[in-house]
Amino acid sequence: MTKELKPVTGRAWVFGNDVNTDQIIQGQYLTLLDYAEMAKHTFEIPRPVFKSKVKKNDIVIAGRNFGGGSSREEAPKVLLQSGIGCVVAESFARIFYRNGFNVGLPLLIIPNVAKLVSDGETVIVDLIEGTLSVRSSGDVLHGKPLPSRMLNLLKEGGAVAWYKQSSGKH
Amino acid sequence: MGYTLAEKLLASHTNDGKATAGDIVEANVDLLMVHEVLGSRILGVLEEMEFKKVWDPERIVVVNDHWAPASDINSAEIHRRNRNFVKDQGITHFYDVDCGISHHVLPEKGLIVPGELVIGSDSHSTTYGAFNTFSTGLAATDSALILATGSCWFRVPDSIRIDVTGELQDMVMSKDLILKIISDLGPDGANYQSMEFHGDTIDTMKVGERMTISNMSVEAGAKCAPMTVNGHVNKWMETLAPSKRWKPTLPDKDAEYIDTRTYDIKSDPLGPMVATPDSPTNGKAVREVSGVPIDQAFIGSCTNGRIGDLEIAAKILKGKKIREGVRLIITPASKHTWMMALERGLLKIFMEAGGIVTNSTCGACVGGHLGVLGAGEVCISSTNRNFKGRMGHQDSRIYLASPATVAASALMGAITDPRSV
Repeated sequence: MTKELKPVTGRAWVFGNDVNTDQIIQGQYLTLLDYAEMAKHTFEIPRPVFKSKVKKNDIVIAGRNFGGGSSREEAPKVLLQSGIGCVVAESFARIFYRNGFNVGLPLLIIPNVAKLVSDGETVIVDLIEGTLSVRSSGDVLHGKPLPSRMLNLLKEGGAVAWYKQSSGKH
Repeated sequence: MGYTLAEKLLASHTNDGKATAGDIVEANVDLLMVHEVLGSRILGVLEEMEFKKVWDPERIVVVNDHWAPASDINSAEIHRRNRNFVKDQGITHFYDVDCGISHHVLPEKGLIVPGELVIGSDSHSTTYGAFNTFSTGLAATDSALILATGSCWFRVPDSIRIDVTGELQDMVMSKDLILKIISDLGPDGANYQSMEFHGDTIDTMKVGERMTISNMSVEAGAKCAPMTVNGHVNKWMETLAPSKRWKPTLPDKDAEYIDTRTYDIKSDPLGPMVATPDSPTNGKAVREVSGVPIDQAFIGSCTNGRIGDLEIAAKILKGKKIREGVRLIITPASKHTWMMALERGLLKIFMEAGGIVTNSTCGACVGGHLGVLGAGEVCISSTNRNFKGRMGHQDSRIYLASPATVAASALMGAITDPRSV
């Protein structure tokens, strides 16, 4: 059952370089067993207002090396749980990149994106084209289209759905 | 062109025997280590997958190490789930809360074998590169898929070759070397890449010292950090894994590296290093930060909680008292390490110096328990990450250093060059 990947429209939350997984979700919350409970602590250190202001389909924009550090899958999970529609960054740390697609959180790489988008602006991200448009100015930023393996994972709805599909469970 | 260590180690695990940098390959995993992530996250994924049986109960290692023994009700529940899973699935290798930190326990139990492909549900799984393995960290979903199938896809990494020549000076440790190397690379300088270590410094290094280097390579973003087998690794395998059959893997002489970096510590001697808050790649010479007052000094973790680390700390602390008002916390990496430290009289030295010796666990390093930092506190730590809030309150500050520098700093109550005490 493949999903259509529609463009995501939302407000930008802009971050700098090297936002590590401890900044997304601190280690002290990892023993919380309920993701909804854990998500209340998303970006607690770098952006304390995030949890009260985030809206569905908001978009996280970041500089280089987003999601470095711990392998914790809780990082992309709490972003999804918070309603984040996708993350656009100049580059991603290796494990975070895998984890994002595994759990169904789209990740797009666009050079200089954190310098070209302002916090709070409404942007439209087209995952198939690999573009980000700024609604107010109409500016379009071009990134790399998603690798086909990652695109297929998203279309299936993440790695578990992909596994069930390929092992003939559904 | 020839192949790098990462390429050769991965190629020996693909069905067609091929793996070239940039390729995406499906590889057969030899060993999967999972810790508390099993109970907290993986079991939920397995349920969604309608999973029944693990692919091979002898190739899975379950460790309760991060919050050991349980620090709260949630971690107690996670440990309970792990024990039940081990029982239900007939998992052969299980190390409960009394055993210590996975990345030290696995090699100590002879489970890490040169040439193998080892995956852990923990980013510091790069540690096993010191044993000539391809080893890397993945998270819950990938671990669940491996539990079910025994295989996983990988993008074959490019390799950075790092050659180190010369001898480390007195009171200078492999921790200082890796802090220097990752600070030169930056936090994403090796992202997606293999850091392959060579040179006479690495070739003569003890196993524990090598593990520190492979362990912290992930802080520059490395996917894996393999080394070739040396005499110490040979001896380790003969002693701790005599029944295992293996042969060493070498890179080809004409292997292709995207970068080669050389450290000649003979002509340009390396001194003790300290990584300032909030990145492990903020490495500075100790003299640049000496005198910064500390509240806590911590020696432990998968990076530097081994017997050699405790020995050098004891050498510095023997017959002395730490500065009043400073907490010195020592967490040996494993039960075996703890017992060795007991037998060699090290624990007595720590206690008499005013320190606290805890059981073996990740503990303070993840801000879990046994040494959590309060608001505004400063800690010098032999661990691997000094991210904001890593060890407790978001307004605490962490300086990373070698066990020698941590011990010397505990004595003086401020960051101190271990060569000066």
